[in-house]
Amino acid sequence: MNEPLRPVYLEEKLEEIRSDGHLAYRSKSLPTWCPGCGYFSVSEGVTKALKELHIPTKDVVVVSGIGCASRFPFFLEAYGFHTLHGRTLPVATGVKVANDALTVVAVGGDGDGFAIGGGHISHAARRNVDMTYILMDNGIYGLTKGQTSPTSALGFKTSTTPYENRDQPLRPLMMLLSYGASWVAQAYAGHQHHLKDLIAQAITHKGFSYLHVLSPCVTFDKTNMTYANLDLQVRDLPEDHDSGDLMAALTAANAPTPALGLFYREERPTLTEAMDEVMRAAGGEPRGGLARSA
Amino acid sequence: MDSTDLQIIICGSAGDGTIAAGDILKRAMARAGYKVIAFDLYPAEIRGFGKCVARVRVTTEQVYSLKRRSDVLVSLDDSHAIEHVGEVRDFGAVIFENAPIARLREGRHMSAHVKPGQVPYGLAQREVCERATSSSRSRNIVVLGFLARMYGLPVAAFHEIIADKFKTKAPVVGESNIRAFDAGFEAATAYFKLDDVTLGPPSHVAEGADTVMMTGNGAVVQGCLDAGIGSFFGYPITPATTIMERLAVEMPKAGARLLQTEDEISAIAATIGAGYAGSRAATATSGPGLALMVEMLGLGVMAEVPCVIFVSQRGGPSTGMPTKTEQSDLNLAVFGGAGDAQRIVLAPTNVEGCYRCAGKAFELAEKFQTPVVILLDLYLSNRYETVIFSKDNIFEPNCSKAVEKQDPGQAYQRFQLTDDFVSPRAVPGDVGGMHTVTGLEHNELGRPSDSGEMHTRMSAKRHRKLEGALAHGDLNICKRFGDEGPVDVGILAWGSTFGESLEAMMAAQAEGIRCSAMKVVMLSPLPVDLIAGFLADCKEVLVPELNYEGQLANLVSGQLGRPLSRLNRVTGAPMQVEEILEQVRALAKGRAAA
Repeated sequence: MNEPLRPVYLEEKLEEIRSDGHLAYRSKSLPTWCPGCGYFSVSEGVTKALKELHIPTKDVVVVSGIGCASRFPFFLEAYGFHTLHGRTLPVATGVKVANDALTVVAVGGDGDGFAIGGGHISHAARRNVDMTYILMDNGIYGLTKGQTSPTSALGFKTSTTPYENRDQPLRPLMMLLSYGASWVAQAYAGHQHHLKDLIAQAITHKGFSYLHVLSPCVTFDKTNMTYANLDLQVRDLPEDHDSGDLMAALTAANAPTPALGLFYREERPTLTEAMDEVMRAAGGEPRGGLARSA
Repeated sequence: MDSTDLQIIICGSAGDGTIAAGDILKRAMARAGYKVIAFDLYPAEIRGFGKCVARVRVTTEQVYSLKRRSDVLVSLDDSHAIEHVGEVRDFGAVIFENAPIARLREGRHMSAHVKPGQVPYGLAQREVCERATSSSRSRNIVVLGFLARMYGLPVAAFHEIIADKFKTKAPVVGESNIRAFDAGFEAATAYFKLDDVTLGPPSHVAEGADTVMMTGNGAVVQGCLDAGIGSFFGYPITPATTIMERLAVEMPKAGARLLQTEDEISAIAATIGAGYAGSRAATATSGPGLALMVEMLGLGVMAEVPCVIFVSQRGGPSTGMPTKTEQSDLNLAVFGGAGDAQRIVLAPTNVEGCYRCAGKAFELAEKFQTPVVILLDLYLSNRYETVIFSKDNIFEPNCSKAVEKQDPGQAYQRFQLTDDFVSPRAVPGDVGGMHTVTGLEHNELGRPSDSGEMHTRMSAKRHRKLEGALAHGDLNICKRFGDEGPVDVGILAWGSTFGESLEAMMAAQAEGIRCSAMKVVMLSPLPVDLIAGFLADCKEVLVPELNYEGQLANLVSGQLGRPLSRLNRVTGAPMQVEEILEQVRALAKGRAAA
């Protein structure tokens, strides 16, 4: 954010990108998002974080639902499952249960996650499934061309709320904190480096990590969650924020303007670790890796 | 008398120990080497005064259904048992509480309802029990002792099973129940046996095989375990819940993983996720749950993900009749979902079939990369049968088509078009097999594509690959029984109703009617050629089903264009052999008259 400004030379930039190594995590398909879409930052962040963490592409599974954000898996060089609208988390849970050696990343938008898929988030969070859920929130339905979403602001005019949205938007961070997610953070697509760092932390966290990404839709939202507005609104969490304090995290999440950073973090057994405990209690032997009966 | 065919009904209120008595009876008889088939009816409510009925048929020859007429009725509560007295055959026995009649209102006592020709035995169940155990709680066990003395049932087997049943309780509980049994046995010495109910010696079991008594759901569990199930996801629903409950006990012992999800949608979603990741994955539900699952089932078809869905049908539509049996989810299982989404559907006809279909489902799902639905019904899920298992595991551990070594730099084609329409499959963790699957129509690489040509080719791939399932080894997808060659009447049946159909066929043959019966196990893809061959041999065809619409008849006549006679019942109870037999007789006669 505070890098000195200097001219960018095309050849130099391309060389830097090629030599970085994260392109190995990019698939040959070009993203279908609109130029300027916040999702480019997320896809860049995920590829760079995976490269930084040295996770082999063969061990990564990216699961998504339906929506602009859910096209994500096609643009990564990894295993991917583009599932049904709202069913990202249960499918991802199945993948992790089937093989706990895999790195599972679930991605989706605000409609996929909080409208049709809202019932699943609480259960993935409380079970502490060891996966990362990156929710790209643009406050609008983009793939169906501009309808209101559960996170749309009050007063937002969309094609299905032509006389302004009157429904109170959800507060995702507060929901996730009270659901029992063991890692909750917020990032902004306009702050790429910070976003990438948080993605890397989220993947490293053992348990259910929830990363909320404020990600403008440049095509269907000209008034609300725009880069211009968010640039002015977002701020870092206070230096002294205690990420081990749930009530402090809830208070920070309840602030009128969005704060960026790690809100909350705790260590507790994951779903598959709990299953291993069940196996020991039953007299069986946990083996890890691909689930099968002996 | 060498061959035995004895059917006992025990009837009482919830809380009388009716089902428990039936359970001990069938286990003891199976332990003594008899073949047993048993089915219980109980109310949807756990407490209260709902009616409970346990029916147990004990035989030496293999039979396929319960009889309509029982040999013995045991009443633990006359207010419920009176309506079953008509089910007892002539010279059969009715055993009831010999309470002083003055205590009961007129007409409420069993003694007033026993039909001429039936033999009544009034037994002071309460009194005998109180004398032996200083409580009347074990009177259900007292009547078992009474039965044992009257019909020469194997006492040692009963003692073992009673001790076994109460072994988790304090020792005094088991001892007191054995005393109750012996007291009932002793009490019976004071009775003259006036009925003609008899029990012959048990049949002998071949070496190298295990005889086990289990329910259809129990057999499903055993099939899953023997096939190496890796993960299971489910949501409780009658009558499928016992599959998950049993697997929850057994899977962790084998190092496999089970999760109770938040709803049926997430149950199948996680099953498909696990199937995609390479685990042998399954879920179990009933009709209402399947209705929630069909969207995901379509994704399984489109993304070509192996997974297994057990569906135990109950009365429908909607919440319907949760504790009553029906066969009305055939349409949903075969056709449910958006678009052209053919999948494999199997419907076993007996408990052994449940075992075989459960294990084979994992093979089929993996081999053809598709969801496989196993259609059971409440009657089949809950009924007990003695089953002979071979000691060898009959299921293949891995049927997935492996990816051959690829040239470096060549992209892996998850949906490669091949001669048998099945593509080599890589799963997460495999080097070089990275790909993305999707519910969108896609090209061979798995990338979204909506070209007309690609949709045509991929649609053909998804349908034609299933043709191979019709030739899958060691699985009867369709089988004919009874008379060979041309027959007067053929019975075409599926699921649990096939048992009654087979009994009706044998009865018709005994009456001189040329008759055969065919069971259809694979409902999708339908073995059209085999069914057509059978129908060509039949002058008349009867399709008995426990649904209102005639769903199998519609399926078959839709594909073969042949008119079929239908017999549809939606009483919530299994089909009666006599009902089928009556129709067979009428069809045979109508034909003769014409």
